[in-house]
Amino acid sequence: MIVGAVGVITLKQPVHAALSLVGTLLTLATIYVGLEAHFLASIQVIVYAGAIMVLFLFVIMLLNIQQDPGPGAFTWLRPLAYTLAGLVGIALIMAVTSDPRPLPDAAVIQNTMDGGSPDAIGTALFSEFVLAFQLVGVLLLTGIIGAVSLVERKAASQAPEASSPQEERPLETVGS
Amino acid sequence: MVPTEYYIALSAIIFTIGALGVLTRRSAIMIFLSVELMLNAANLALVAYARHWSIAGAAVALSGQAAVFIILAIAAAEVAVGLGILVAIFRYRNSSDVDSLAGIKL
Repeated sequence: MIVGAVGVITLKQPVHAALSLVGTLLTLATIYVGLEAHFLASIQVIVYAGAIMVLFLFVIMLLNIQQDPGPGAFTWLRPLAYTLAGLVGIALIMAVTSDPRPLPDAAVIQNTMDGGSPDAIGTALFSEFVLAFQLVGVLLLTGIIGAVSLVERKAASQAPEASSPQEERPLETVGS
Repeated sequence: MVPTEYYIALSAIIFTIGALGVLTRRSAIMIFLSVELMLNAANLALVAYARHWSIAGAAVALSGQAAVFIILAIAAAEVAVGLGILVAIFRYRNSSDVDSLAGIKL
């Protein structure tokens, strides 16, 4: 999984990086199964590795981005970025491993989590998180409207240019 | 069973790699991919802690997994809008380099 994640940020071709991210997300789904979250694992495969990554690959191929431009104006920032990221990573790992607590018994985990079934997660979503659930619905609606309006404005501005050559073409008989 | 710390350490490593990607890459789509990496690291931490707190009962433990579900939906919305903006910028500028957008005004 770490190899895949490193591949995401080091590979030059965006398509390769996106496919590397797909591998990372699928590995994460298997980790979810090990963490008693079967429903989330399947959602991860369907939504993330399926829908979101297809959207990414579609945009990469639509825009025909060949290569990352590489380091440009801010070359001096790059060593600083590596140092900062390394320090943050070490600090995070030290923070989370400095005070280990024992896991509860396997039987308790099995009983409470119920394998992370859709039933149990749905109960939590519609009892404790019902407000967040509704807000996510509003957010998704806003996202749909935003994405459509972004594309729609461009389509409207390009429409006169696109339609003018079509008018000059003579009508052709269909069929025959 | 694997202790929770290992999962959290893995999550921290993945998050750091994602942050490094955001800091070092210049193509906007690569930055998006790195942000996805960071979101997934946060999800992994939430799921790991959800299992860790299963002693506190199903309501507490499964709230972690419910939060991951909500984050998934938010990530989907973010990707849809972000890629829409990216396509719009690319049509105008013919480049996905974020440095070329330095003069942009909101």
